[in-house]
Amino acid sequence: MSEQLILQLVVSGLGMGFIFALIAIGLTLIYGVMDVVNFAHGEFIMLGMYATYLAYVTWGVDPVLSLPFVAGLMFCFGLVVYYLLIRRVLTGNMQSQIFATFGLMVFLQAGAQFVMGADYFAVRNSWLSGVVRLGDVVLPVPQIAAVVGSSLATILLYLLVFRTSIGRQLRAAAQDPQAASTLGINVSLMYALAWGIGAACVGVAASLLSNFYYIFPRVGAVFVLLAYVAVALGGFGSIHGALIAGVLIGLLQVVIGFFVSSELKYVPVYMLYLAVVLLRPRGLFGRS
Amino acid sequence: MSFTRRRFSLAAGSALAFAAKPAFAADPVKVGALYPLSGQVAKSGEDTLNGIRLAVDIINKKYPNLKMPLAADEGLPGLGGAPIELIAADHQGSPETGAAEAERLIVQSKVVALVGAFHSSVAATSSQVAERMGVPYISGESEATPLTERGYRWFFRTTPSSRTQAKDFFTFLRDINKTHNNSVKSIAVVHESTLWGQEFAKSVDAYFKEFPEFQKSIFVGYQQGTADVTSEVQKLIAAKPDAVFHASYDAEAILFARTYKQYGFNPQGIMAIGASFGSSAFRDALGADANYFFVREHWSRDLAARNPLVGEVAKMYRERYGKDMDGTPARAFTAMMVLGDAINHAKSRDPEKIRDALAATDIKGDALIMPWEGVKFDKTGQNILTRGIFVQTLDGTPKMVWPADFAAAKLVWPRPAWR
Amino acid sequence: MNRSFPALPATLILAGLAVLLLLPFAIGHRPFELRMATLIFLFATMGQAWNVLGGYGGQISIGHGLYFGLGAYTSALLSVKLGLNPWLGLPLAILVPTICAVIVGIPCFRLRGHYFVIATLVVAEAVFQVFTVWEWVGGAIGLEIPVKREGWLNLQFHRDKTPYYYLALGLLVLVTAGVWWLSRSRLGFLLRAVRDDEAAVRSLGFSPQAYKSIAMAISAAIMGAAGMFHAQYVLFVDPFSVLGLHISVLVALFAILGGSGTLFGPLLGAAVLVPLSEYSRIAFSGSGRNVDLLIYGFLIMVIAAYQPDGLVGWIRRVAGSARRRRAPTQQG
Repeated sequence: MSEQLILQLVVSGLGMGFIFALIAIGLTLIYGVMDVVNFAHGEFIMLGMYATYLAYVTWGVDPVLSLPFVAGLMFCFGLVVYYLLIRRVLTGNMQSQIFATFGLMVFLQAGAQFVMGADYFAVRNSWLSGVVRLGDVVLPVPQIAAVVGSSLATILLYLLVFRTSIGRQLRAAAQDPQAASTLGINVSLMYALAWGIGAACVGVAASLLSNFYYIFPRVGAVFVLLAYVAVALGGFGSIHGALIAGVLIGLLQVVIGFFVSSELKYVPVYMLYLAVVLLRPRGLFGRS
Repeated sequence: MSFTRRRFSLAAGSALAFAAKPAFAADPVKVGALYPLSGQVAKSGEDTLNGIRLAVDIINKKYPNLKMPLAADEGLPGLGGAPIELIAADHQGSPETGAAEAERLIVQSKVVALVGAFHSSVAATSSQVAERMGVPYISGESEATPLTERGYRWFFRTTPSSRTQAKDFFTFLRDINKTHNNSVKSIAVVHESTLWGQEFAKSVDAYFKEFPEFQKSIFVGYQQGTADVTSEVQKLIAAKPDAVFHASYDAEAILFARTYKQYGFNPQGIMAIGASFGSSAFRDALGADANYFFVREHWSRDLAARNPLVGEVAKMYRERYGKDMDGTPARAFTAMMVLGDAINHAKSRDPEKIRDALAATDIKGDALIMPWEGVKFDKTGQNILTRGIFVQTLDGTPKMVWPADFAAAKLVWPRPAWR
Repeated sequence: MNRSFPALPATLILAGLAVLLLLPFAIGHRPFELRMATLIFLFATMGQAWNVLGGYGGQISIGHGLYFGLGAYTSALLSVKLGLNPWLGLPLAILVPTICAVIVGIPCFRLRGHYFVIATLVVAEAVFQVFTVWEWVGGAIGLEIPVKREGWLNLQFHRDKTPYYYLALGLLVLVTAGVWWLSRSRLGFLLRAVRDDEAAVRSLGFSPQAYKSIAMAISAAIMGAAGMFHAQYVLFVDPFSVLGLHISVLVALFAILGGSGTLFGPLLGAAVLVPLSEYSRIAFSGSGRNVDLLIYGFLIMVIAAYQPDGLVGWIRRVAGSARRRRAPTQQG
């Protein structure tokens, strides 16, 4: 077993892992602040990818350039989803909350197919294509971009949540909404922001994904299950947990895919979810 | 009370109808078509159905300059010029829905024959219905080998099966070895994990005995919804095969091709079953990197050079439906023509007579738009005169390169390095 | 809020049943309508199964198709590999999914709501992927159940599908009666208590885990029976048609839209939505646009936001307070 091969597997595992991580971070943020799992998260990815593609095909804007706009667009979308839907179910029981995002998932998937058709699309030649060679190891540029982009986004998010006043308010609202509101924090606005930022993270991931993955109505499903596992593994609500878990999952699936079976490379990842929630329900870094 | 009265008037009405209207020979002959018109492959389903619609139109109207049976006359001359009425149904890719729609078409719409179904799993269940109810079923594009191994009387298939197509890959490589110094020794297979991909892998596996000069290298399967294909490609790189057979749908074809380039994976040749690696979507997405992939095709526009009929029909298809014809609509078109030919020969709407006429089909290759030697069914209902061609993308255009006597361009082997 | 069964007078129920029993005389010769009715019954049964766990038990599963698929496969495998008569295979077709469900439940019921939902999804997807590459069960190619002489003995009907209609109806009636009995029983009461306030239940000395497991077992058993029916109805199983995620989603959809936690919710949901799905497929044939799913998704969001009781709740409201008699208080 050559070192070069192992290195190659690790590198590409990391590349995908950072994408899973970024998607998971968006998910865990929403959960951490308001205890709601967004079952339509995969569809957010899908929307981000379609937005990137449409910008590319209509105005010729490369995904690298459209990234901030897609993130901004998804941020707004997150806000809209919160105000139109989520806010109304927060006061209800958990069932309603689950149904709400579940319905949203079905709606968005069917909607995408309705509007764009079931065909898949691909961004042809983005700027982020090609490879960089380090000796014998090949680093595909889109994967490097994914690592860089996701890391940057995570750092920015971290700074936002832990170093700004908005972040303080977010955390306060997450910890104790009632107390927070007596302190004058607009809890509803914080929730909306959580949705917006969570969606924006996904927008960044979607934009990075569009450099090398194909786009179709069900593309969300491909990534979101892995993101759920990452969130659980890292600990619901923990940002750095989601990051580490996402990366671990990226590595795990590449290694299993190579050494064991490529058709079943995700099954151990799914089983990992069960193992984690059974043995250590708060994951690696979650709050208890 | 009102129930029985309604029943009676219905019966009376239909009796009157029968009495009043003599059964004109020119009443349309109803044929049912089962295709996926919604869901993931809706576009392909629609394109395929259009191939059938084109055939029906050619049969029904006068096209004296098309040198194929039934084109010059209006309708079916054997039935007094009766037109074919096509009734389409959407099976949504579900075997159960397909069976239900088949039944509805037979019982309620009273079709004399069925055409379908694109998906082999749907063809299986819907033709089972046809078999039980004694209605001929012809498939132009469902390739799963077991479909003609069920001992059915009413099922006919014009397209080659998956197994036959797999053999073409070996025949092709044997030919390559003759002119390229026996350079191909090991073969790897990459396949997706639905029925189609698994079937192909099985068929290829079975042929190594018949072609002992080749060794089996690695077989890599993958799930359709895979996020990346690094581990798959790395396995291929480690196995170092000389040639790679691919069974992938369009979307993953792009993913694989890109990943191959990223890692510099360059076997002597990569050849695919199904149109994926030669499709316009593939070429759009990959640009110059789409070159040198081979596709085992059923049909190519280049065939027009040997038979102008091909060009004329392709042109009609393009004009009406705004898309280029490819192998699947071409095969569906052919299946419909074969059915029309059989109904015409049967001179009857009786399904049993149509079935017998189908079994006796004997159409020569030049009356077809396919590269086949003709259409003739064996006892299992399989057309045994099919022929495959290989197409290679050169300079951004797929060109027919094999068999040699059909070639529109010279094939390039081995693949040049990635640029 | 009192979530026991809606107070429909017994006469209405009997009348409805009589209509359903006689319906085949009107539609028996129309395969499309007959099939649709059979599908409605089947989906209503599956929705009812989901309801036991999700509606009454409060454990939302969006991977329930797994148990349907396991039932279908068990029945198919017994027919194909052992030539076993499907009636004889029925107990196993029910048992296998039930056991699997209980096993899955052991780790998963420790999870709170959202995590449980994800777990159900993940398990269903894992099993699906494994089945597509598992040779012994036919892999992606699936299994064709041998065509036998038709009749109740072999549970296959080829020309006239009316017996399937009655079988599905019978199953539905049986299951609904069972769920009705369950909802009025002590078990049902405790189940709803677990859904509404798990901590309270525990403090009273009961084990929520045990009750969830029981609900899971009942739910999976019903799905298994439905799966066996499907296998005999279509005579073909493959991972995509019986283990696909779309079944899980549809089953949950029907139950939720109809009214989760109500007795007639799944029935109503299936009765309204199956025709919607079938007719929209025919109406939109050719444009491939999944309009029905678009509508369902939208309706679910509306229900979640405004009316958690689905169609049943809406009907209750519309029918006014005259219909809303307080159901007798449950006692043990």
